[in-house]
Amino acid sequence: MAAEHAAVAHDPNIGCTGLDHRKMGMWAFLGSECMFFGSLIGTYLAYKGKSINGPGPHEILNIPLTSLSAFVLLMSSLLMVLALAAVQRNDMKWGKIWLFMTALFGAGFVGFQIFEFTHFVHLGLTLQTNLFGSTFFVLTGFHGAHVTGGVIWLLSLWVLALRGRLGAQDSLKVEICGLYWHFVDIVWIAIFTLIYLIP
Amino acid sequence: MDSSHAAPAAAHAPGGGHATVQTYIRVAVVLGLLTAIEIGALYVPGIPSHALVALLLVFSVLKFGLVVAFFMHLRYDNKLLTVLFVGPLIIAMAIILAIMALFGAYILLARG
Repeated sequence: MAAEHAAVAHDPNIGCTGLDHRKMGMWAFLGSECMFFGSLIGTYLAYKGKSINGPGPHEILNIPLTSLSAFVLLMSSLLMVLALAAVQRNDMKWGKIWLFMTALFGAGFVGFQIFEFTHFVHLGLTLQTNLFGSTFFVLTGFHGAHVTGGVIWLLSLWVLALRGRLGAQDSLKVEICGLYWHFVDIVWIAIFTLIYLIP
Repeated sequence: MDSSHAAPAAAHAPGGGHATVQTYIRVAVVLGLLTAIEIGALYVPGIPSHALVALLLVFSVLKFGLVVAFFMHLRYDNKLLTVLFVGPLIIAMAIILAIMALFGAYILLARG
């Protein structure tokens, strides 16, 4: 027990708070991301209903399709925690499966978004069309870019696992990636309700 | 899936511990149900607009809280991490409300 404490005390990643710097750094980053997305959501809501020309949200948003993509992203969060639990108990067979499935669901969400954006452009809504187009594409586009970054991160971990370079000793790497992944999920929970569901 | 899936995930870092796989699955089921109710409520005729908006906001906050508490492990982790996240989150919500108030745009109240 004393040796364990000594090991923790000498770990260069553990600071005076007793917490890992990398994990604290990720939480601080996520805090800043809250303010980033908060300003984008606030701008969208401030300009809601103030476009002088169409198309507007009620004419163009596809609730059933977006509900499906929101469900896919929500379930990817479950797959992410299953991946973390598997890596923590050094069950790398299931760790690899869950990591890949999480990335696959994330890629599915991005696919839905690409389809939605393309469809909207065909219907005449672009960044320049009106206030709705500008605020909608900037907000959901930044979120989609975050999801894409998360998919690349997950696939990097999956490739490391395939090469045998990811094990229980690296579970913090998976946990930090998971924190980021769950964050993009909770941002979508807010966006989905505020933009798509609220009339 | 082997039986070890049911075992509690070990605490892996100072001040940190995680939920069990069963808890994760239960939380995911609740999240799915809340989402289904949210979407279903849109298609129920006769719900007053204010009640619908309030329901959607409450369910959204519940889903947000469940993911942060269980999937992101804040419920089990050091309180300092909660402060690091909730502090900026409060600022973000203040930013949203301030921008909306400045532009006279409201969700629940009539537009100015």
